[in-house]
Amino acid sequence: MCLGIESTAHTFGASIVNDGRIITNVNRTYRPPPGIGIHPRKASEHHVTVSEDVVAKAIKSPNGHQFHPDIIAYAAGPGLGPCLRIGATVARALASFLDRPLVPVHHGVAHLDIAMSLGKARDPLAVLISGGHTAMLVHLNNRWRVYGETQDITLGNVLDMFGREAKLPPPGGRSVEDLAKRGHRLLDLPYTVKGNDVAYSGLLTAAVNMFHKGAGVEDVCFSLQEIAFSMLSEAVERSLVQTRRDEVVVAGGVAANSRLREMLESVAKDHDASFYQVPVEYSGDCGAQIACSGSLAFKHGAKVSNADSYVIPRWRMDEVDVPWVPRN
Amino acid sequence: MGASKLEMEPFHRGAEANLFLSTIDSWKVVVKQRISKAYRNASLDDKIRRERTLSEVSTMHDAKAAGVKAPSITGVEAETDTFSMTFVDGTIARDCLDGMSPREATTLFEKLGAMIGLLHSGGIVHGDLTTSNIMVTLERDPFLVDFGMARRSSDPEDRGVDLHLLQLSIVTSHLKDASPLVKALATGYSKTAGRAIHESSWAKAREISRRGRYFAIR
Ligand SMILES: Nc1ncnc2c1ncn2[C@@H]1O[C@H](COP(=O)(O)OP(=O)(O)O)[C@@H](O)[C@H]1O
Ligand SMILES: [Mg+2]
Repeated sequence: MCLGIESTAHTFGASIVNDGRIITNVNRTYRPPPGIGIHPRKASEHHVTVSEDVVAKAIKSPNGHQFHPDIIAYAAGPGLGPCLRIGATVARALASFLDRPLVPVHHGVAHLDIAMSLGKARDPLAVLISGGHTAMLVHLNNRWRVYGETQDITLGNVLDMFGREAKLPPPGGRSVEDLAKRGHRLLDLPYTVKGNDVAYSGLLTAAVNMFHKGAGVEDVCFSLQEIAFSMLSEAVERSLVQTRRDEVVVAGGVAANSRLREMLESVAKDHDASFYQVPVEYSGDCGAQIACSGSLAFKHGAKVSNADSYVIPRWRMDEVDVPWVPRN
Repeated sequence: MGASKLEMEPFHRGAEANLFLSTIDSWKVVVKQRISKAYRNASLDDKIRRERTLSEVSTMHDAKAAGVKAPSITGVEAETDTFSMTFVDGTIARDCLDGMSPREATTLFEKLGAMIGLLHSGGIVHGDLTTSNIMVTLERDPFLVDFGMARRSSDPEDRGVDLHLLQLSIVTSHLKDASPLVKALATGYSKTAGRAIHESSWAKAREISRRGRYFAIR
């Protein structure tokens, strides 16, 4: 039984996973005031405030029974330094109090671990799309390899930043999706795919300019989505053909967009690949991903002493050994 | 082109296009037709297929003029996003690289490097330089295909993308160790690209793989 603690960015979460089953998953997300981005220190103050309550809830079953985790896993990176340190401190305290091993987890690897567990994927092309990531990865020679990614801002950034510029109610992704349903005219916005990478900042700037010049917001949202999602779908399609995987798993909060899901599913189908998308409650940052990944990592020998339990704000995914993929 | 090809089964269904075998006189040719993507908005889809077909035809032609081994264009039909080219008798590197001896593989990559050097010094970048788009003949000569993303550019960044992507496609799709291949590639490249282009392209390629954008922005 593993207790996992997430605190890489705006979410503080804790979760119990037992034998691959998610038992509890408690998360609280810091919401900055409208129109303002996430401030690391403010978010970390939020995490301090909620941490005790979140952990207490996570280790209690609905009938009041207390769980006794065998392992304490925490997200060691990548993420915002002040936020990461809160999670690590809480995990360290629990590990020494309960006298249990402490397991550092890579947040991005954890997104993929929970996606693969839930989707029963063996060796997929993984598409990670969230506020922090826009990347396509495959596992080869013991590590996840980033095969394509955004060269500048993430897809989550594009939608949120447009939402902010156009003064749409947050979260931007949801507002853009709703407005896009009422748009139908495809405006001429830049489409940039370089090899397997995409670049979004030119598209964002052009969309914002069109909006300020008076183009209908529905049409701008519609066009922004169509172009941004087509770019990603094309990159995914290229990656799928080159890497020859027959499974696609999609993780990350932005993947909740139904138009994007429809496009990615269509790409997978065209290439006879199975398609799995993580349900919303596990696709955003959450404790369950850390508990899930921590269990797997511990089985393969990962653990640190309290003294060595650093956080790594910039931790590349291709620096982490992941011997538990492909799954059997 | 036209009618005859439509009755045939494609010999290859790729990421973007269906490819058919045909003949012109006694020459084998390959007909490449970009197919519409169900996921894409129809007008965007039309625009992308038209642009890519036209740029593929012209850059493939320019690449040959720069001394690169690539198919020769034998016909174009823009309205149907179709063109034909001479048939290359070979296998894609994606399929034959892992079966090669280390020696054969480094020899191939040195030749390949020299060819990419010619392409780049001719002011062209490929844009989708993966082992799926490099064909290897029986004589173990590399040919470049799939110029849909290619364009004229003398920006070191674009050349860096070519070199970076090729390395990445080895790391993500092949069991072979990439480093001796990349070394051979650079040796070949330096022989044809000229010193300035050689240095700026590889500096960019290294910069691109160091960027690790995915992790920094969180
Ligand atoms: N001129 C050619 N001669 C022989 N085979 C070719 C030729 N051009 C392409 N092919 C084969 O068809 C495949 C797909 O062609 P490509 O141009 O790469 O299209 P796609 O955009 O679908 O990847 C290549 O990987 C190669 O196997
Ligand atoms: Mg190709």
